Amino acid sequence: MENQTFYYDNKIVKNFAYATLFWGVIGMVVGLLLALQFIWPALTFGIPYTTFGRIRPIHTNAVIFAFVGNGMFTGIYYSLQRLCKARMFNDLLSKINFWGWQLIIVFAALSFAGGMTTGKEYAELEWPIDLLVAVIWLVFGANMIGTIIKRRTQHIYVAIWFYIATFVTITVLHVVNSLAIPVNLFKSYPIYAGVQDALVQWWYGHNAVAFFLTTPFLGLMYYYLPKAANRPIYSYRLSIVHFWALIFLYIWAGPHHLLYSALPGWAQSLGVVFSVMLIAPSWGGMVNGLLTLRGAWDRVREDPVLKFMVVAVTAYGMSTFEGPMMSTKTVNAISHFTDWTVGHAHIGALGWNGFLTFAVLYYLIPRMFQTQLYSRKIANLHFWIGTLGIIFYAVPLYWGAITQASMWKEFTADGFLKYPNFLETVTQLKPMYAARAIGGGLYIVGIVLGIYNLILTIRAGKFVPEEAASAPALVRAEGKRGSGEGMHRWLERRPVQFMLVALVAILIGGLIEIVPLYLVKTNIPTIASVKPYTPLELQGRDIYVREGCYTCHSQQVRPFRSETERYGEYAKAGEYVYDHPFQWGSKRNGPDLSREGVVSGRQYKPNSWHYNHMLNPQRLNEQSIMPVYKWLITDDLDISTTAKKIRVMQFLGVPYPQGYDKIANDDLMIQARGIADDLKSQGIQVEPTKEIIAMIAYLQRLGKDVHAAGMPTAAVTTK
Amino acid sequence: MAMNEHNTVEKDELTGDKLLSGHEYDNIRELDNNLPKWWVWLFIITIVWSVVYIFVFDVIKVAPYQQEEWKNEMAAAGVVGPGQSAPIVTANLVALTDKPSLDAGREIWVKQCKICHLEGGQGLVGPNLTDNFSIHGCTYGDVVNIIVVGAPEKGMISWKAQLSEDQIKKVASFVMTLKGTTPPNPKPPQGEPCK
Repeated sequence: MENQTFYYDNKIVKNFAYATLFWGVIGMVVGLLLALQFIWPALTFGIPYTTFGRIRPIHTNAVIFAFVGNGMFTGIYYSLQRLCKARMFNDLLSKINFWGWQLIIVFAALSFAGGMTTGKEYAELEWPIDLLVAVIWLVFGANMIGTIIKRRTQHIYVAIWFYIATFVTITVLHVVNSLAIPVNLFKSYPIYAGVQDALVQWWYGHNAVAFFLTTPFLGLMYYYLPKAANRPIYSYRLSIVHFWALIFLYIWAGPHHLLYSALPGWAQSLGVVFSVMLIAPSWGGMVNGLLTLRGAWDRVREDPVLKFMVVAVTAYGMSTFEGPMMSTKTVNAISHFTDWTVGHAHIGALGWNGFLTFAVLYYLIPRMFQTQLYSRKIANLHFWIGTLGIIFYAVPLYWGAITQASMWKEFTADGFLKYPNFLETVTQLKPMYAARAIGGGLYIVGIVLGIYNLILTIRAGKFVPEEAASAPALVRAEGKRGSGEGMHRWLERRPVQFMLVALVAILIGGLIEIVPLYLVKTNIPTIASVKPYTPLELQGRDIYVREGCYTCHSQQVRPFRSETERYGEYAKAGEYVYDHPFQWGSKRNGPDLSREGVVSGRQYKPNSWHYNHMLNPQRLNEQSIMPVYKWLITDDLDISTTAKKIRVMQFLGVPYPQGYDKIANDDLMIQARGIADDLKSQGIQVEPTKEIIAMIAYLQRLGKDVHAAGMPTAAVTTK
Repeated sequence: MAMNEHNTVEKDELTGDKLLSGHEYDNIRELDNNLPKWWVWLFIITIVWSVVYIFVFDVIKVAPYQQEEWKNEMAAAGVVGPGQSAPIVTANLVALTDKPSLDAGREIWVKQCKICHLEGGQGLVGPNLTDNFSIHGCTYGDVVNIIVVGAPEKGMISWKAQLSEDQIKKVASFVMTLKGTTPPNPKPPQGEPCK
């Protein structure tokens, strides 16, 4: 067969690489700002756009989807062409993928700053941008599948298996979790509520980690590590077993984000066991990576690319052991809602994703520019500063997490909470937060050095936009399995069948966990006293979502003595049935708020307290790290949306009376005047039309219905 | 990559491991190594552990779900529902005046009370405690009483579930020392003048 000559598209790889660096710096600098807000809350600047609750999603989305996402595309567009011995399927699709993705990132940042959010972690984008994400993602998929189909190699390599699994699973996750009914262009309500919304969200959230941060990067590891080390992959068999085990098991593990929540016990158990079973499949990737370096360890000491890879793969091994441990109930009871989770996430993001991304960039940029890396010394410096940064980031947070969890749980000899004021447990952590900020800062310094090094490399070299290559055309083997051809070997030359098998593998776990929550009524026992929110409370709730309050406050009291003593009745599945979206949160930088409105409860505060607290939290306690929310006091509540919101809620099954949308604003104004009058009696003059009134109405509703059900914790006799 | 002299099986030079023929992707080769034994065992152990876990928790249900765990924890602490201080007889109570008690009272004040009454007791959400007026009575016994029973409709919660009798007496004693002080920006008087 004669050789065909063709050209690899390096230009698209270069574009993605530049975007990776650009967004990486932005995403991490926003992260640093957030870290500093823990020490100096004034750094929220008293304006909405830079407040913690709004920029935290900018940080997480920028790092995950902009930095790691562009890094993933960089690595895939470079390796896929070479592994398929083919140019990308279609240059136009490549360009749409690139520019579309950058457009999404810009829209995301602007909309989050503007308070447009669904309030679901890592899926905060509102519906029009979600649609755009779906389209661009499908463009990427089509371009990838097209390239694979026109390949000049008989079989697809393990890296491509991981790319395929990434594409199909992210498609499914994104579409299912984003299903929502729009109120207008900027606001929608998810079709799921409460427990169901929580399960779907964490099925998505956990598997975004699995299939956006893990599988594509395992694919990249399988290409760049053997290339950089010039060593064969340790075990083909291991790659088969750990690939299928990983994608099949990963999808089940989502409920480990909801341990000790109102999620039914059986679903929690599945979350625990499938997380524990993930240790070996995850380590399969680490083992295959590290053992591939056998015989090349002397080079690891010299080659910065390999150094970055070794630490990345080790960080992957560490966090995939730590993750399952955190998914056991024993550890989770301590780690959940604390900075442990944040530390864990950053071992993955900074170590695994960040370092592997830089390994890939250090590998492919000199090659595309036909030169050597400008300075090995600077790359080594980047490596050491980055490593130090990760340690400085994570260790103080682990320390702080255990400190805080212990303080939450400590009782005096008299049987009272030793630290009943939540704020004490936050103030205690300030030195750790300072150290964390230094760690994050160091990591950014490392990245800046890396960018400097790459810029000088690029200047010294000459870019090859079209890289010539040649390979014989593919003579396709027969569709049927040949004699002596293993089942998997056959699948490796049938990419479409491969994709379908992968799809089935990832659908099973999700279906088995999510469907029973809809079909089996006992999973969410009804509580008769739980009623829909009033129009004012609903509007207030939407402000709560808009401001990202869930990024610091949970609404989920766990069934621990230390929590029922601090907050009140533990969470029940039935109390969240009208919560579109659920707002359970995942991290407590402030106290849980789900019992805030129980007048006889421990957390209760009068309307005037909430008013003063939003206006100036530090006036009430100078140690407080709560941001100022003074615009709630000056801004008018937009009540033009009330009728539409009620109608959408009715469509989603919330039992407002027929025609209620037409009179909802009348009720809204009556309730608003009541709160304004109460504030007036406390000497506070505020119009009933202001946002603060709706916010107070919502906060004062929290926990009321459960309490009214007459199931206060005290009524449960234990002896 | 060198051909072995005695057979046609290709072996990796550095490790001597067998290379898979036909497995070459952009010059990446794959070795024919088996799964590491320890890895297989690790996988098997986690699977067995998981089967046992589901069996114990969800099939025969001998291990407690979280609601049971909570009841057990409360029972172990010897409490029925949330902790509470015993009722305090407030008649003829005399405020503590020794320094350690007042210091302890002040510490509780800073942690629990000042978020409504502000640090100097000048009042903001809650009333000014430095002037000669009071909503719920002026004596030490009255102060203890309002801390115990609260007036939730006015925003003052009952503290009996969060403070012990001893703590309540100390913080009330500290409150008595605020009277007559002059912190900045005092809240206007509320309630009745004290005699």
